[in-house]
Amino acid sequence: MKRKLTPANYLALLAATSFFVFPLIAAFEFSLRVNLGKSHGFDNFRWVFQQEGFKTNLGVSFRLALLTAVAVLVLMVPTVVYLHLGGGRWKRMIEFICLVPLVVPVISFALGVGTAFPVFLQSTVYELSFLYVIVSLPYTYRALDVGLSSIPLLTLVEASRASGASMRQTLLFVIVPTIRSAVNGAVFLAIALSLGEFTLAVLLHWDTFPTWIANISQGHILNAIALSVLSLVGAWLVVVVMAIAPKSLRSNKTQEATS
Amino acid sequence: MTEQNRVSVQLQGLRKVYGDAVALENFSLDIAPGELVALLGPSGCGKTTALRILAGLDTDHSGQIIINGKDVAGTPANKRNMGMVFQAYSLFPTMSVLENVAYGLRVRKVDRAKRDARAQELLDLVGLGEMGKRLAHQLSGGQQQRVALARALAIQPNVLLLDEPLSALDAQVRTQLRDEIKRIQTEVGTTTLFVTHDQEEAMAIADRVGVMRHGVLEQCAPPQEVYLNPANVKVAKFVGAMNSLPAEVTSPTTLKIYGQSVNLRVGEGGAPTTKTGKALVRPEQLTLSHGDGSGPASATIINLTFLGPLTRISVRMTGDSSVLFISMPSALALDFPTGSTVNVEIRATSVLLDF
Ligand SMILES: Nc1ncnc2c1ncn2[C@@H]1O[C@H](COP(=O)(O)OP(=O)(O)O)[C@@H](O)[C@H]1O
Ligand SMILES: [Mg+2]
Repeated sequence: MKRKLTPANYLALLAATSFFVFPLIAAFEFSLRVNLGKSHGFDNFRWVFQQEGFKTNLGVSFRLALLTAVAVLVLMVPTVVYLHLGGGRWKRMIEFICLVPLVVPVISFALGVGTAFPVFLQSTVYELSFLYVIVSLPYTYRALDVGLSSIPLLTLVEASRASGASMRQTLLFVIVPTIRSAVNGAVFLAIALSLGEFTLAVLLHWDTFPTWIANISQGHILNAIALSVLSLVGAWLVVVVMAIAPKSLRSNKTQEATS
Repeated sequence: MTEQNRVSVQLQGLRKVYGDAVALENFSLDIAPGELVALLGPSGCGKTTALRILAGLDTDHSGQIIINGKDVAGTPANKRNMGMVFQAYSLFPTMSVLENVAYGLRVRKVDRAKRDARAQELLDLVGLGEMGKRLAHQLSGGQQQRVALARALAIQPNVLLLDEPLSALDAQVRTQLRDEIKRIQTEVGTTTLFVTHDQEEAMAIADRVGVMRHGVLEQCAPPQEVYLNPANVKVAKFVGAMNSLPAEVTSPTTLKIYGQSVNLRVGEGGAPTTKTGKALVRPEQLTLSHGDGSGPASATIINLTFLGPLTRISVRMTGDSSVLFISMPSALALDFPTGSTVNVEIRATSVLLDF
């Protein structure tokens, strides 16, 4: 369905776009200034890459994001499917639990974590990703819940079961492909959250990419802005890759046997 | 295509309750190998419940399910080897038609070439050989149900279970697919339980029809017998059209209806305990002759409904003003225009009494 845009629509669109675009352009221009603004160049960007810890901290953040995404996939998808299939009694309660992270400040989470987490996790940076799973619950749960509500889940599951599929096969072959966009959405959210999260990382004294940015940019205003432009571009790239990857994976799959 | 699964099914004393509501009560049914039994009953009488219990999709019930002499109580749905077709469209939306049909073999780890060949064979069987590459939403409702049937049969199921597979389709497609299901079932010889609320469908397709009411299986017999010799008053009234005529019990084996003597058939309810009751007579068991307006069987024609080969005539009895329906060949009905005076004759060898 295509709608014709009226001049008023265009105007509104333009206003909204410029609201985002002008600051970005300004920031970009600003980050290119060298020699106290007398000329333009990429020195500020080069400086960023030269700082100690750029690669390691970026690496930590990506690993956290990956782990969080996997945890969301493995834990959340089966759970929400279970709730939709007759875990009816629990639905209310779990829905409520999933909303809790919205109303409880992360600071109070952070305080509990030091003592509540199993010892083998406490000393690794990966305890963060467990927290990120929790903090992203309200969004990931909602995304999956909406996706599952929009399909005839029970019929599909029963058809699959009657065909001889185990619950695991049903999840992998039938449910996840059917709600793929919802699953992608949940994973996007989890990844975006883990890549940008600052408070918990600082409170638990871990160096992630966001905390590293905050540290090094103190006192280097031009470099800080170069950094935020870089992160923005990087984030865009991640999103684009993630949007394209599942599609190409899927088309491969249909070509070679969906097994 | 040779199918070797010839499996018998025995359901024994099934009972299922939802809270206070009894969905199935003392439900027992034997299905012979290769037989097609249709469960017939109004919506909510427990047909789907019985089917789901047999499929293992509902395990919270009492009673036994014995397949080929083996109790399958502990066998989960995905190990019972049942082919199932649902009322709602149930094809997997992200898979092609061929992948849908091959799904049961895929989860059984049959290799790709083999399962695709088998799926293609079944698509040919249901007349959709060319449609393998399409997605479910690119098919009509009737085609989707054909694919669902092919998917159910692909695994060479022990039992084929069909839960009102035709009720979402329009009339023409429905009869066509109904006949085709019968043809395919006869060809592959799979023991089949077919659930429907449509009498004509049940009668047309089944070796035996099981009539259900309120969770109880009232009678299970060949279609002709259910129609001509209903086991009890409930079945008689549910299956086909039925007139209720005032009758007097004149002996343990005879009734008097509108002055005529008719043999009484004692059904499951036992012999009548009262002197009067309602005799159950089908519209085609009544016939008309021209009358002079006197006598106990005198009536007036009030309406004729032309139904093609047959015409349905409604008459009002002169004596008690009750309205009866009579069905006769349209050619004969021409003799009895609206308003004419007639005598009603009962041409039944024996009738049931509702007392
Ligand atoms: N999940 C359920 N919860 C509560 N009652 C149910 C449920 N499923 C079915 N019932 C009840 O059980 C009875 C039989 O249902 P069903 O087997 O679906 O009937 P049919 O298929 O003959 O229409 C109905 O009265 C229905 O309301
Ligand atoms: Mg039903």
